[in-house]
Amino acid sequence: MSEEFKNEEVKNLPDIIKVDFKSIDKSYLKVIYINFFLLFIPLLVGLIILHQFSFSNEINEYIIFIYLLFIAFFGLIFTILNLSFPFRKYALREKDITYKAGLLVKKITTVPFSRVQHVEIDEKPISRIFGLSSISVYTAGDSSDDLEIKGIKKETALQIKEFISSKINE
Amino acid sequence: MNNTFNFSEFSKQSSKGIFVIYISLIYSALKISWIFIFLIFKDFSEISNTKLLYISLGIGIILLFLLIRAILIYKNFQFKITNNHFILKQGILKKSNTSIPFDKIQNINFKQNIIQQIINVYEVCIETAGSTKTEIGIKALPFLKATALKELILSNKVFENSEKEKEAQKPLLKVDILSLFKVSLTENHLQNLFLFFAVLFGFYNQIQQITDGLGKTESLDGFIEENTNNFSASIFLILILIIGFTVIAFLSSFVRVFLLHFNLTTYLKKDAFEINQGLFTKKSIVLKKQKVQNITISTNPLKRLIGVSFITFKQAVSGKLNTKKKDKLIRIVGCKKHQIETIKSSLFHFSKVENSAIHFPDDYYKRRIFMFSFLFLTVLYTGLYFIFSHIEIFYSLLLIIPIAVFLILKKVKKRFYKISEDMLLVGRGLLETHLIYLEIFKVQNIEMKQTIFQKRSKVADIILQTASGKIKIPCIHYKEALKIYNHTLYKVETSTAPWM
Repeated sequence: MSEEFKNEEVKNLPDIIKVDFKSIDKSYLKVIYINFFLLFIPLLVGLIILHQFSFSNEINEYIIFIYLLFIAFFGLIFTILNLSFPFRKYALREKDITYKAGLLVKKITTVPFSRVQHVEIDEKPISRIFGLSSISVYTAGDSSDDLEIKGIKKETALQIKEFISSKINE
Repeated sequence: MNNTFNFSEFSKQSSKGIFVIYISLIYSALKISWIFIFLIFKDFSEISNTKLLYISLGIGIILLFLLIRAILIYKNFQFKITNNHFILKQGILKKSNTSIPFDKIQNINFKQNIIQQIINVYEVCIETAGSTKTEIGIKALPFLKATALKELILSNKVFENSEKEKEAQKPLLKVDILSLFKVSLTENHLQNLFLFFAVLFGFYNQIQQITDGLGKTESLDGFIEENTNNFSASIFLILILIIGFTVIAFLSSFVRVFLLHFNLTTYLKKDAFEINQGLFTKKSIVLKKQKVQNITISTNPLKRLIGVSFITFKQAVSGKLNTKKKDKLIRIVGCKKHQIETIKSSLFHFSKVENSAIHFPDDYYKRRIFMFSFLFLTVLYTGLYFIFSHIEIFYSLLLIIPIAVFLILKKVKKRFYKISEDMLLVGRGLLETHLIYLEIFKVQNIEMKQTIFQKRSKVADIILQTASGKIKIPCIHYKEALKIYNHTLYKVETSTAPWM
């Protein structure tokens, strides 16, 4: 393809860690809260119903521990969700897009634009209330491991999509 | 190029295709309903004459219906080539029109099952990198037409075909029956045993589902319970079981190897491999070198003894099918050392990576596996204790623990990686040894993972995602991981070579 072939040795590769990462939109934390309570409250109600109508007396002796365990478990999840929120960050470079997240398990994923198959923007119902959407970047690899950035403003998502599309077609 | 066939108009398959479609329809109908047929004919003597008449009438109607369906499928299956696109019309009631541009076609393979061998037609499979839906099988074409179609599609791509004929003379590798026998003896029998039981378990489930509905499950359960009671009592039975399993394992490896790899011949061509193999279903695969995502060279202690290994080529598959589509793996068994060298060097320059410094995972890797195995055993034995409530089951730990420790140490020892400018070589394995060769620019995306425990030991996992599955490098020093991360991105982003 290219007429002049160059292959100079590169001494200093660009370092992924030193990239300026952007945080996702603050209001996505509210979406996380709502999603959390949408799961938590029905389960709690279910547990109360079981407690009142279905459990035998032998189980009901320990019911206080069951409630404590239940609350502790979800409390832990809630704390982790809260604490890990500031770690959800993404960065766009000229040739790739990077997303990192995680408190206990830190993950960082980079997809080079030259390998992108398609880009998708999703608006889930709750996110839409806050004007947020998520952007997924698909490659030919296993799709479950591709990159998804949740909770960015819809305009930003569209801009990123445009940016990637223009890079793919180069 | 012999283009005596006109593909620019819509054409049908060979009329023998009706027969092939008919047989395959009957076969799939049998596959769904064999259990019912079995149930009907189980008490054959009790079936009265009138009933028999109804049954045979029913079967006759079904056969007739399938025949009409086969003819309709045949009539409605038409294909043509225009404008560098392969166009296919099919469907009886739901018509569909598929069009595949040539440059998206990954492979064109010929297949022959037993029926197709008898009536001398070829099944042509056109594989794309997309989903299964766009995968096209033309059931019956005469050989000349099939080759003409293949050449037309392939020659419109960049490849020159004129040289192909000359080079096809001498096979790179031909496995005769004796060496195939040796290969099957040295297979991973444990794995084949599991496969066999998986199939058996599937059958058992199917039978149980049916008998459940008929209320006969009690007798079956009773039978099993009785046997398990005896089982704990008699060592003799265990011995017989072990011998039985060994025989089954050998037999199943033997059957599997012979079915899949019978008469394996491999030709090395300018930009492709051609692989022919199979006993009942003959398969001819043309594998483009460019489409190979990575290769794995595997061997085990037994195979090393007779000096053979097998090579697994991985091609690009679409994401969701990764785990299911096993036949996208192309395997050449019984390769001698020099043949491996030839195949490797025809694909890429591997000497640099093989001579690079070898890196082993951090000690953390060993600790992690030991931790997980310990946890697993604890949970397993607590569970077992609750079920059987015999303290004696813990005696088996005397045997299990040394085996587990031995296997873990083996696994850790086999983990390594070497990296050069352009290539990555990853070693892994438990009893078998696998060497994975990957050209770095074929990576699709890259991930680095670090748990808080790993952070304390300053190690991280690297996961390289390719179009044919992921390659993991676990627990290497964080700095090294970062270096690989940055280097891979640099390589992918500066390369202009197509990854498939």
